[in-house]
Amino acid sequence: MSLNWLFRGGLVAYTALFFAFIYLPLALIAVYSFNSNPVNMMTWEGFTTDWYWQVLGFKTTVSEAAMYIESTGQLLAALRNSIVIAFSTTLISTVLGTALALALYRYDFLGARTYRVLMFMPMLVPDIVLGIALLIFFVNAGVHLGIGTIIIGQCTFLISYVFIVVSSRLAGMDRSLEHASADLGANEWVTFRKVVLPQLMPGVMGGALLAFIISMDDLVITYFIAGTDVTTLPIFIFAMLRRGIKPEINAIAVMMLTFSFLVASLGLYLRSRQK
Amino acid sequence: MQDAIVELAGARKVFASPEGGEVKALDNIYLDVRRNEFLTLLGPSGCGKTTLLQSIGGFVRLDAGTISIDGADMTRVPPHLRPVNTVFQNYALFPHMSVEQNVGYALEVRGIPARERREKVGAALVMVGLGGMEKRRPNQLSGGQQQRVALARAIVARPKLLLLDEPLSALDRGLRHSMQIELKNLQNELGISFVFVTHDKEEALTMSDRIAVLKHGRIQQIAAPREIYDRPANPFVASFIGVSNMFEGSIDSGSLVMDRGETLQLGRTLQDCKGRATAVIRPEQFSLSFEQDTRAGIDVTIDQVIFVGAGFELYARTRGGRELVVSAPASARDDVARAESDRRARLIYVPANIHLMPGEGGSQ
Ligand SMILES: Nc1ncnc2c1ncn2[C@@H]1O[C@H](COP(=O)(O)OP(=O)(O)O)[C@@H](O)[C@H]1O
Ligand SMILES: [Mg+2]
Repeated sequence: MSLNWLFRGGLVAYTALFFAFIYLPLALIAVYSFNSNPVNMMTWEGFTTDWYWQVLGFKTTVSEAAMYIESTGQLLAALRNSIVIAFSTTLISTVLGTALALALYRYDFLGARTYRVLMFMPMLVPDIVLGIALLIFFVNAGVHLGIGTIIIGQCTFLISYVFIVVSSRLAGMDRSLEHASADLGANEWVTFRKVVLPQLMPGVMGGALLAFIISMDDLVITYFIAGTDVTTLPIFIFAMLRRGIKPEINAIAVMMLTFSFLVASLGLYLRSRQK
Repeated sequence: MQDAIVELAGARKVFASPEGGEVKALDNIYLDVRRNEFLTLLGPSGCGKTTLLQSIGGFVRLDAGTISIDGADMTRVPPHLRPVNTVFQNYALFPHMSVEQNVGYALEVRGIPARERREKVGAALVMVGLGGMEKRRPNQLSGGQQQRVALARAIVARPKLLLLDEPLSALDRGLRHSMQIELKNLQNELGISFVFVTHDKEEALTMSDRIAVLKHGRIQQIAAPREIYDRPANPFVASFIGVSNMFEGSIDSGSLVMDRGETLQLGRTLQDCKGRATAVIRPEQFSLSFEQDTRAGIDVTIDQVIFVGAGFELYARTRGGRELVVSAPASARDDVARAESDRRARLIYVPANIHLMPGEGGSQ
């Protein structure tokens, strides 16, 4: 009895520690983002929302010296690039990844198995290797580095993520539903539209959201193929860090976190509605 | 030809078995389904019933042979163009659609306008006893209700033929029995042919106009239930259908000589047969006697007598240890009482009435 109690107690403590380990740093960042101390953010000086206003380009009482961002324009430009890239890559990789998953599920062509294994490769290859490989490829192909190369480069591995999410959804799908649809007079296209796709949608949405979030915060691979003209949000933040950690970074981090959280919640909500 | 809705000729289908060999799921099948007929495909699991049904539905592509439906060659026609609907073994209801959408699916893909669709869906649901459930999702229904939705969905577009793959096997006993009757009534009401798959002989015997018994992808016999029961074509059919009192042996000048030295007298018409054979004497074909006379008979000891309302069932044993079942009418009360107290009797049979089948080894 008491051993059981001890075990339970241990389990609770372990769980608490586990969550603390994961969430405490995030909580600290959130707290610091409201700290008015411009020099040492570990020391609490008072509550302020200035860092947020400052990042968003509003005039506050914070002195110029405490900031890195010379102009909010730079930050917003990086954000805009990231969003354009994320939307494009999400669209492309969702369409291609879903099509690929469907093809491999539907048709048993020669080499389908090899193809399936190959789809896991971009996730297994270290980012840095993939980044270098892409860079060498683009340079040799004589392509000008920029938003275009970032989109193509990110798609190479985002397709894999979408493929895997959609494939797992397909694997759980009941093949006899397609038979039933055909039996009732629907041709392949109608069957796809009315039976397969609605069932597949949660998987497709899940894959798309995953692709969007990964695209938004990919640093390593994007860094290699971004060239000199284009800056994405992660690259911009990374560059800021090289000049020391300043409080406004906390505000940016909290905003990104909130955004990711909203996107993920939307995903979960859509998924629960589909059930 | 005009009275056949489906004609299969020389249908073959071979699957590669996981062990690397071949499975003949359909082995040279010739089958006619008549108009307005309730035809049952009966056989043990794995004998090819589903494959046969799906080749009519168009989901299995035949390796050889042809299939025509309502006079038109359908051998290479895809499922969605065949005038046939199926009730699948697992129902295969669309989980993301309401009952109404499920049932209306066949009409919707044919472009029937919404109002007409709603009427027909309502009528079909009433027909299967599910009126008022239109808005529910399949997962909000019981197994029996899902079954009815599957049925309504398959009949709403009035197919020329309805295929049913073990539709009752997932239901419990009571429900199953009432569904058997309902299905039979529905078939009469709709006036279309049903091809019904089951591995349950009772179900087959009660519901069917004709039964096709399958084994290893071959049709063993196709006939009316009574005919199958009274005159099974071979020992497999006899034992699968649950016929009692089978005698295996070799035919020798008008008798069947069994392995333990017992013999059975055969009717004159059967005396030409040669070789190994199996004879059937049904329980009600015996009559009880206690005299040794010239009539053909078997001396037995009586193990047990059971009163079954309309009569009696006697469990008897021959000298060679062969177990036999005898059924006696209530009018034979006195003879039964004597057999029970003596614990012995002589079972009289009429040799000419014995059903004789070539071959042996009924228990597969
Ligand atoms: N798609 C398939 N691939 C390989 N073997 C199959 C396939 N479908 C059926 N079979 C085999 O064919 C035989 C008949 O199967 P089936 O028609 O499903 O039998 P039943 O419905 O009478 O139980 C079985 O031995 C089964 O294993
Ligand atoms: Mg089956």
